[in-house]
Amino acid sequence: MKREKQIPFRIGEATPRCDARTKVTGQERYAADYYGDHFFWAGVKRAGIPHGKLIKVHTEDAKKLKGVVAVLTSEDVPGSNRVGIIRGDQPVLADKKICYAGDPLALVIAENKETLQTALALITFDHEPLPGVFDVEEALRKDAPLVHEDSPGGNLLRLVSVETGKGASAFDECDVIVEGVFETPFQEHAYLETEAGWAYLDDSGQLVVVTATQTPFRDRNEMAPALGIDVEKIRVIVPYLGGAFGGKDGITIQCLLGLSALHTGGVPVKMWWGREESFLASVKRLSARMRYRLGVKRDGTFHALECRAYFDTGAYAGLGETVMTLGLEHAGSAYRIPNVSIKGSCVYTNNAVGGPFRGFGVTQVTAAMERIVDMAAQKLSVDPLAIRRVNAVERGDKNCIGVTLTHSTGIKKCLAALSDHPLWREREGWKMKAGQFKKRGVGIACMAHAMGYPAVVPDFANAKIEFTGEGRFRIYAGIVDMGQGNASTYAHIAGALLGQEASAFELIQPDTERTLPSGSSSASRTTYVYGNALVIAVEDLKKKILDKALRLFSTAQAEELMLVPGGIRHRKDKKKVSLKEVAGLFDESERFYTAYFRSPAATEMLDRIYLGPHIIFSYGAHLAYVEIDTLTGCIEVTGYLAVTDAGNVINPQAYEQQIQGGIAQGIGFALSEDYKAANGHADTNSLATYIIPTAMDVPDMLSVAADNAEETGPFGMKGIGEISISGPVPAIANAVADACGIRIGRNPITAENIFRALWEQNDQERPR
Amino acid sequence: MKISFVLNGKKRTADVQPDMRVVDLLREHLHLTGTKEGCGSGECGACTILVDGESRLSCLMLAAQLEGKRITTIEGLSKGKRLHPVQEAFVESGAVQCGFCTPGMVMTAVDMLSRNPDPSRDEIREGISGNLCRCTGYQKIVDAIEAAAKDKSR
Amino acid sequence: MAREVLLPHTIDDLWEIIRSEPGARLYAGGTDLFVKLRPQAHLPSSSPGTLVCLDRIEELKGIHEEDRLVCIRACTTHSEIMWDPVIRRHFPVLTKALRLLGSPQVRNMGTIGGNICTASPAGDTLTPLYALGASVETRSCDSGRLMPLKSFILGPGKAALQEGEVLYGIWITKDLDFNIHHFEKVGQRKALAIAIASMAALIKLSDEGVIEKIRLAWGSVAPTVVASRAIENALTGKPLTEDVLRDAMPLVADALSPIDDVRASAGYRRRVAANLLLRLLQYSNTGFEGPRVQGT
Repeated sequence: MKREKQIPFRIGEATPRCDARTKVTGQERYAADYYGDHFFWAGVKRAGIPHGKLIKVHTEDAKKLKGVVAVLTSEDVPGSNRVGIIRGDQPVLADKKICYAGDPLALVIAENKETLQTALALITFDHEPLPGVFDVEEALRKDAPLVHEDSPGGNLLRLVSVETGKGASAFDECDVIVEGVFETPFQEHAYLETEAGWAYLDDSGQLVVVTATQTPFRDRNEMAPALGIDVEKIRVIVPYLGGAFGGKDGITIQCLLGLSALHTGGVPVKMWWGREESFLASVKRLSARMRYRLGVKRDGTFHALECRAYFDTGAYAGLGETVMTLGLEHAGSAYRIPNVSIKGSCVYTNNAVGGPFRGFGVTQVTAAMERIVDMAAQKLSVDPLAIRRVNAVERGDKNCIGVTLTHSTGIKKCLAALSDHPLWREREGWKMKAGQFKKRGVGIACMAHAMGYPAVVPDFANAKIEFTGEGRFRIYAGIVDMGQGNASTYAHIAGALLGQEASAFELIQPDTERTLPSGSSSASRTTYVYGNALVIAVEDLKKKILDKALRLFSTAQAEELMLVPGGIRHRKDKKKVSLKEVAGLFDESERFYTAYFRSPAATEMLDRIYLGPHIIFSYGAHLAYVEIDTLTGCIEVTGYLAVTDAGNVINPQAYEQQIQGGIAQGIGFALSEDYKAANGHADTNSLATYIIPTAMDVPDMLSVAADNAEETGPFGMKGIGEISISGPVPAIANAVADACGIRIGRNPITAENIFRALWEQNDQERPR
Repeated sequence: MKISFVLNGKKRTADVQPDMRVVDLLREHLHLTGTKEGCGSGECGACTILVDGESRLSCLMLAAQLEGKRITTIEGLSKGKRLHPVQEAFVESGAVQCGFCTPGMVMTAVDMLSRNPDPSRDEIREGISGNLCRCTGYQKIVDAIEAAAKDKSR
Repeated sequence: MAREVLLPHTIDDLWEIIRSEPGARLYAGGTDLFVKLRPQAHLPSSSPGTLVCLDRIEELKGIHEEDRLVCIRACTTHSEIMWDPVIRRHFPVLTKALRLLGSPQVRNMGTIGGNICTASPAGDTLTPLYALGASVETRSCDSGRLMPLKSFILGPGKAALQEGEVLYGIWITKDLDFNIHHFEKVGQRKALAIAIASMAALIKLSDEGVIEKIRLAWGSVAPTVVASRAIENALTGKPLTEDVLRDAMPLVADALSPIDDVRASAGYRRRVAANLLLRLLQYSNTGFEGPRVQGT
């Protein structure tokens, strides 16, 4: 089990992560772990009402409390008091309006937690209540209350539409048409580490913020105008995150923390949201209502697709438009469909704020499309796997928005592997063994997921690596590691190229002063884009090391030297020198190597969809085994297979980590995570009422990597971070339909939903 | 109030408010930030420590309750550079992703294996059912505990 | 302002505290109390003055077996009870229910006395204790009372604990002569779940498959646990078959008064609670020997 220390990294070999040791001993310091001998606590008073005109915030009583350092409102925000990457519509502290229940009204800085809580309770506010809007389609009505009066489209933030071929008129040419309405609710990230940070003004007047964020450089750019500070005077330091999944992509705590630090005279200030506050104030997966119509020819080929989708972005724009857009780009999942009519409305409501969540819109549409594909298969009396194989895209095909797939396209390989797998072959035998009061079913789903940013947004990274005086390597990781292990994979890549093992590497986590801008930790890009840049930098460094090393060998040929763990060895005479000796030959100015890499992007059809299309996609095919208890409606996922095309595998262990983690979140989304809110108030506001899976609620999951290299990726890999989360909802829904003929268009598919549907199916009296 | 207890094998005295939560005493007063807080209401298990060898939630315990007790936190498991077999197994099996649930998960696993040294995978899942993880999907954690059980029995 | 936290080591110390600080809040494991006291975003932290932790009082802990009865002292943790061989032998229905309560850590901290005094309609120990016909003993500094558990639980969150009293112990009769001990809990997930519905069943099944004796109790489907003589009588003397159970199901639905809440609707609870009777069919015998204990 234990690995010998001197084995260098090798591509394709299961390797423990570099950060595992410090995390398993409790030594690794997260943003929430910063304390000091003298520091203050900051906290936020939130509105608690979904919609209203803010008249006045009363802070006088709080200010008088002993131990309170400051109480701030919007009047104390020196800059624009606005954040939001696209629209800039979200206040740091609410000034004119309250748009959702989590809107921050006042910021308290206190000497200790108890005083902070007492002070927050003393803050009151005057407001004029406004009628709220909580449903996407109601929000689009002419008479609906406006969330943002100054929004040019009213509650319609953005409309995106794509038409290809004959659009909806192609339905006339179809032999079979199926339709359905599918809804996915808000989903809570529920990362174990809630929003946390530590900030102070240093002696030079620089604002230093240590925080859990996926976007350090972008944060600075937002904080600067919002708080009226020069961007160069803000430093953001990011430790390993305790999970994020998109929920820490952008401004969460940073402006509040930064604003606090401006008022403490240099004393550090700490902010750490409690779980209930995180539920209230953090972004959620946008909820979606999707009306689908799929037209199919008798031979099983998909001919026409119509999708009308409404995405609820809640009170603020954030990245909602891009979430919806990526979803629409995947509205037809992994299939060829020559005629589509896709329209999506991203809508403001007074619900929770919608934002990025692993899957980023694709999870929503895949939940719909993969269910309607099964419905079509049923209507045609065709096997659900067969219909998918007929229509699955290949390289060179056009995807569902009519963009040619010029990169690796392995969905057919995934389906082939699935069909060969014992879990698929043995499914009928398994189903027949269902016990008393049990029904068993099996369901499959395909999925695609684009990697990286849309075409018009430059997707780049700047790698930086240092060859230290000790002969070790310091990698300045440009992209935040939120748990996905990209930092460790950077060491793996560098180690494989340099012939070194783990102890040779030090990983510096993102720090706007030390690491280079490399974009967000999101979009399944974090290994591909930084890894590609790192390969360039490391190759340059390697060449330099070998060139310098020549001086220590009586040879003129660099090819005769090879890097081995800790040193360089002559291939023939086996003479070895240490890397430290070689490092001694480097001038200080020669130690750092940087490289820039920009991901390939679409150059055609840039107006096909908002911000332009993607061209590199990962694919997956999933299979779910499900057992339903007819006495209670309870559903258990007893088996799960995920076949994935994410290019070559650099580290099978890290690959499986991502696949398994995404599936588990997908299972929660499918069966138990029910974000319940009425009129802008969430009933599920804690981990006791918002139910995420425990270890007893997730089965052992099988993961197979399809053999399909992506030539442009480092060692042939492409994105894997998000793809698997989109499988469980449709695979499980399809399995439920297989088990008992019930098709439920909404998730979570709870025991009660199944029970009621079974009840109606049995034609008995409705439950009282 | 002065409270005396044994922490990670060493006698300690803390002078704190008696109603301070143990998780805060550990993190803020004793600077042991390995024990995490994920919810403050006993739902996630991230704050799990061992009290007289038994896994308990430090967010639902008050400092006064530590009097005379033997406490083990994650910091007390490894001996110098040598990891506890459960920690070693977590590293090797890929059971650590973001790592925030890890200390609590490891402490729970240590208690579980002391009661049931040869658990089945289902028993392992039951044993860690009080520790939420959002990153791993639990599978490699189960793999790790299974491996640690086999390792200890050698 | 810090609250005082007292840890009496003897019950006499406890009486002294109760006498001098009648408003003091008693707790054992803290798994209910400290969740309730958690400061919420918009509310000030509740400050109940003095807190008294009972878990050092040896007299309030342990499982004491007597000739015909077992007494579980109130501050015994769920884990201790769950692992105890006396409980496993005589009251396996309680062992099974405890395995489904909370989580391992919650079981290590929470106590049977706490679960009873919290008197939640969904309390996981209550359903099996009702089926077992348990009694509770309360004590004050100068007196004690003994009453059936079902008289002690008055309503949701309301236990019949008087001023100056503590719950002392839970008494259960041994040799109840049942050979089937069944418990099922329906929740939104398999651990850390508050019951949506639960059912405990104790049956004495004859070799011919006839129900000679039966006790049933349902949890989370009414303000307090439901036990119905009428249902038990309807099943006594009948064979354990699907028809017999289905005939009894309408009686179950009528005996319950469930509510709608964030976890489930009343209608679902009512139907599911009745359905849980059918789970007993797994015990119907075609050649079964001896006590059937479901997967301990």
